[in-house]
Amino acid sequence: MDLAVHDLKQHRGRFIATVFGVGLLFTIVLAMNGLYRGNIQEGLALIKATNPDLWVVERNRGGPFNEQSTLPEQYRYSVQTTPGVEQASSFIYYSVERRIGGQSRHFSIIGYDAPNGLGGPRSILAGRGISHAHYEMVAHPKLGVRLGEQVALGLHTYTVVGLTKEAISPDGEPLVYLSLPDAQEVLFQRDNEEIRAGRERLLRDLTARGVSASQAERLLEPLQPDTHTINAVLVRLRPGADRATVARSIEKWLYLSAFSTDDEVELMLKGRLASMTKQLLLFRTLLLVISVVILALVVYTFTMEKIRSIAVMKLIGAPNRVIVRLVMEQSLLLTVSAFAFGVVVIQNTYALFPRTILPLPADHLMTFAIAITGGILASVLGLWQALTTEPAMALGGG
Amino acid sequence: MEVLQIEGLAKTFGTGHLEVRALADIDLTVSTNELVALLGPSGSGKTTLLLCISLILEPTAGKIVFDGQTIFQQGWAGVDMRRVRREKIGFVFQSHNLIPFLTAKQNVLFPLSLIGQEREAAERRAMELLDYMEIADRADFLPAVLSGGEQQRVAIARALANNAKLILADEPTAALDTQRGMRVMALLKKIARENQSAVIVVTHDVRMIEGFDHVVHLKDGRLDPSQA
Repeated sequence: MDLAVHDLKQHRGRFIATVFGVGLLFTIVLAMNGLYRGNIQEGLALIKATNPDLWVVERNRGGPFNEQSTLPEQYRYSVQTTPGVEQASSFIYYSVERRIGGQSRHFSIIGYDAPNGLGGPRSILAGRGISHAHYEMVAHPKLGVRLGEQVALGLHTYTVVGLTKEAISPDGEPLVYLSLPDAQEVLFQRDNEEIRAGRERLLRDLTARGVSASQAERLLEPLQPDTHTINAVLVRLRPGADRATVARSIEKWLYLSAFSTDDEVELMLKGRLASMTKQLLLFRTLLLVISVVILALVVYTFTMEKIRSIAVMKLIGAPNRVIVRLVMEQSLLLTVSAFAFGVVVIQNTYALFPRTILPLPADHLMTFAIAITGGILASVLGLWQALTTEPAMALGGG
Repeated sequence: MEVLQIEGLAKTFGTGHLEVRALADIDLTVSTNELVALLGPSGSGKTTLLLCISLILEPTAGKIVFDGQTIFQQGWAGVDMRRVRREKIGFVFQSHNLIPFLTAKQNVLFPLSLIGQEREAAERRAMELLDYMEIADRADFLPAVLSGGEQQRVAIARALANNAKLILADEPTAALDTQRGMRVMALLKKIARENQSAVIVVTHDVRMIEGFDHVVHLKDGRLDPSQA
């Protein structure tokens, strides 16, 4: 005889309310699991999609994604001449906020040696890749642009020649691919008034140091800030070249750092993504604890309401396993139903979240195992109360 | 045939100057088909004696033999007390104590499920008992919608489910009016006569014990010889 089910049928309203409430908590836990996975996926998507043999960055920097790395563009030529290197390409990456289609959009720009350099989009969803040196762009559809659309970035207008879906920045923002000079111009382009004021400041500074006005005028151009900087040089090795040997050579002779794609992934996981991972783990733990506490309270209340019936059962000879099954089964039914509700909700809503939620069956299973353990723990208080109830209570006290 | 034999039963609570003697020198023998009433004022030890007979409370001294098996003699005799209760004793309580989330029939089925009776046979037996108690038409109702008298009849049917050798009834009429109380008592008498059971009824209402085979009076934890 399934006592737990009979009892829950009598408390249908409370059972449904508990399943709904705890189920929503499980939904949040599962959403955070998915957010964690989505965060990792987005954080590594660009690194994995780009996937050169080596990422060459500023010395002792973990760039270009985990940490800022800046190096003069001419390093590309030095890297290119390193033994074992087949191709070296400049790479620049930064985030901007611009108005597109009348709306303010936050997105990231990648500049690469278009059209054949490393670091460009690998697969084009619609249109084509960048084939001209200037004023063409490939973008993610999430940016809200259409093929052939003209997009103004700074002083110039760029034509959307291609769309790609692999292009998501580590922050989950849509990416825009530009040729390297265009990307540098968008990044370093300053307001005309700011340029004029800067020149005047420099002239004043030079003349104050005793430089004549004509000499100062001549020095203005070479003293302008260098815009020919990049964040990394991407390397493809010659067939048979040893990655570690080439990396060591670059580090020794060019005084730069060189990482494999696996190293870059590791840097991101241990660096920029780690704090988010810990944060989400903490939230998930707290929510699971809260869920278990709520379940424990509900199971305890259910048990206390039945305490006289439990005493009667004991008096008429029910073995402890019957009592344990009654309490435990209710706890597990609540846990399983609430979890199933949580899964149904997240599976039907994850696409609506602003950040990528990646619900994985393996994560669901792991969370389910933890939830079931929690459900068993939640019944401990009720079980203890039930098992210590004196059968004499059924006779009106001892 | 003797169902219950009690010799020199005693029960004390506490020790030293806090010691309370709840029962002393209780001798009692109850045989099949016998109807025995335990009478006494509050605090006379009725409930304590009932708890000892129910194998819930361990006596301090004496001997209990149940259905030919020594259950207590200077300590419990290594018997599974819950098993004895579920297989050989039926309980009827003052306040019915039906399991509220089970229907009348399920309440009768519950002790049958505990002794592992096969479902179909158990269903048949439950309906027979409810029919015997003239309440078969209320079999699928929850206790909450049954009257006090109906609940008590379901409780008696439940007590009979396991073909108990001994039915223990604790103030079974206390929550009922006189007419319903008399009807319940008549049912208990019928059970004692028609089944292979002995019935012990704890009551304080002398009007209800007419027709009982034995009346045991308790006073200050002892049998009251003046009332024998």
